[in-house]
Amino acid sequence: MTIFSTSTSAFYERSRQDMAVLRKRAEATQEQLSRGERLSRSSQDPVAASRLRTLGRAERLTTIDMGNANRASSDLTLADAALSSFSDFIIRARELAVQAGSDTMSDAQRAGIGEELRQIHQNLVGLANARDSAGHALFGGIVSGDAYEFDGAGNAVYIGTASAGELSLGEGQSIVRGVTGPEFVEFDDAGTPTNIMAVVKTLADALGGGSPDPAQSARDALGSLTNALDSVTTTQTVVGSRLAWIDLTVERQTDLGELRKTEEAEIGGTDIAGTVVQLQEIMLVLEASQASFSRLSGMSLFNSLR
Amino acid sequence: MASDLLSIAKSGARTARIALDVTAQNIANASSEGYVRRSVQMEEVAAAGGYGRIGDISLSGVRVDRVVRNADLFRQAEVRRTGADSARINAEVAGLENIETAVEQTGVFQSIVDFEASLQRLAADPVDPSLRASVMEEARTMTRTLNIASTSLDAVGNGLRFEAASDVEQVNLLGGELARVNLRLARAADASSDQTQLLDRRDLLLQQLSEHVDVSASINADHTVEVRIGGTAGPQLVSGGDSYPFAMATAGDGTISFTLDGAAVTPLSGSLVGRGQALEKLVQIGDDLDTIAADLIATVNGAQATGAALDGSAGQPMLSGTGAADIALAFNDGAGIATAPAGSPAGSRDPGNLDALRSALTASDPAGAMDALLFDISGTVAGRSLTRDAIDTIAGTARIALQAQAGVDLDEEAVNLIRFQQAFQASGRVMQVASDLFDTLLGIR
Repeated sequence: MTIFSTSTSAFYERSRQDMAVLRKRAEATQEQLSRGERLSRSSQDPVAASRLRTLGRAERLTTIDMGNANRASSDLTLADAALSSFSDFIIRARELAVQAGSDTMSDAQRAGIGEELRQIHQNLVGLANARDSAGHALFGGIVSGDAYEFDGAGNAVYIGTASAGELSLGEGQSIVRGVTGPEFVEFDDAGTPTNIMAVVKTLADALGGGSPDPAQSARDALGSLTNALDSVTTTQTVVGSRLAWIDLTVERQTDLGELRKTEEAEIGGTDIAGTVVQLQEIMLVLEASQASFSRLSGMSLFNSLR
Repeated sequence: MASDLLSIAKSGARTARIALDVTAQNIANASSEGYVRRSVQMEEVAAAGGYGRIGDISLSGVRVDRVVRNADLFRQAEVRRTGADSARINAEVAGLENIETAVEQTGVFQSIVDFEASLQRLAADPVDPSLRASVMEEARTMTRTLNIASTSLDAVGNGLRFEAASDVEQVNLLGGELARVNLRLARAADASSDQTQLLDRRDLLLQQLSEHVDVSASINADHTVEVRIGGTAGPQLVSGGDSYPFAMATAGDGTISFTLDGAAVTPLSGSLVGRGQALEKLVQIGDDLDTIAADLIATVNGAQATGAALDGSAGQPMLSGTGAADIALAFNDGAGIATAPAGSPAGSRDPGNLDALRSALTASDPAGAMDALLFDISGTVAGRSLTRDAIDTIAGTARIALQAQAGVDLDEEAVNLIRFQQAFQASGRVMQVASDLFDTLLGIR
């Protein structure tokens, strides 16, 4: 004859198993809350964990891309500033050419102007050899040293590479990272290719006594200098539009990063409200089963026998 | 009239005493592992009428017929079978979780991504010494984490094999013990307390054995047990008083196989099988990790070979080794990274070869392969964990079912205690009556 359909040890075993399951679930929920992450190891949800890894990798690489974009942006800003200085010098050279072109000037005065132009020539070459944020030639493409050097006759000669090279901005986008010297220094002067430095140097030499009619030479140089200014301004526009392109790309990356963060939070984050409610529910059931266990286990027939 | 009131009362009192003893024994063993509830079966003692004594009444009281052991063979077999399954899946999941920890917590994936990221940053300025140094450091971290992952996997393998060896030892120990119990069982008197105790011992040993290896037990008429491994047609582990040696062999790749008395045997379940399965997965994961490391070495070194280092010399291999265990940096100076195409002058900022290296890494995709590896192992763990939960529930239910039937119910024993106490007191009362009757007869004047 059996009073209950179970034995004492079966009752204890069953209660132990049930409460152990509840306790385990409560602890898992508590862990999710305290970590703020739903997954503590991949096997809890392999698909989500793999997705989180992919998102984390994209995040990491995007951070680098944005760093690279910032770097390209600062280099282009430096190039822009250098180009502005370039145009300032050309405008000054043009003013000097106008003065020298006037017949009221004496040859000695013209020679003085020629001296200032020679200084401008030096400055232009110095500017063309300006350094970027990493200390490399700003207008030398991917050369390791200077962009320009003087040859035997004192002319500036480009020794950089033909292209500035591209820098990846991520998502398959890339940008030409700078401007090479020849792109703005060399220009087409009424059908003859020439360069700004040569124009200024020729004018300086002419005013310094290299020309039989320095005033005419100065007037001739005016057109070339105007063309040179155009070339520099055009390049400045190109640099500006590249900067805008970088801004656009960075903005896009930021948006994508936000999307990724949202997805990460959805996949791997703990839904605090939901989890707390779940924990409360488990705790309630656990408390109830503990209470009922202690009442049931305290109920023994031996207590009633006297 | 052949009945004797006093002796009937005496037999009643003695039987009640025995029943009380058995009840007390049940109560005392309510939580003993493997104890099966006993109950006393009583039988009337009465002489049948004989020739010329048809109407005779011949009552001699009661006697203990036997002490019944309330064991259900089917439920016991179920507990063994489900217990072996549960032990197998638990051992396998534990091993797999260790493998998962070894490859995930070491952060191999993160270190590969960091290496890729450092290369990408280097593209911004290939001649920057600090960026080059950071590439070297990330590469060093990557090789180290691969080394650690490989070492951890080896440690997991050693742990699994150590546990399996201890399992094998236990199987042999329990087999020998069962053989001894068999010998004593063959000699024990039927229904004696010696026999019931041996039966308890036999069932407990079988249950313990089933946690290590699957057990096919067949019980003979004399209650001795014959144990086979690997199904009912498998070879014998225990037969009568003999037990046969069970042994484990480790293959070159670290997987394990078993022999019983010299012949190969394939156990079906039990923790041994679980560990064997975990070891097989371990070998596969180890191979995959080695493939990833070898691919990395080939890709990076292949790209290095087509480029020029910072000083303009031809690029040298950057990684040495053949797999995850021995992958290492071949040089420590960041200037050795061949970022420029072959033939470039010293100090070239041309990132042509760095781009080639990065696109080669994108093509061979070590991070993707690592992600796939992690997905493989974590997916396996997740799937097995589900199975484990189901099998654990089944095993728990089987265990409770057996306990419900074979275990001691204290309330029931309390009732028995009162019942047999009353029976004892009643028998005493009968003696009193017999004595009174006797006195009455003697007192006749």
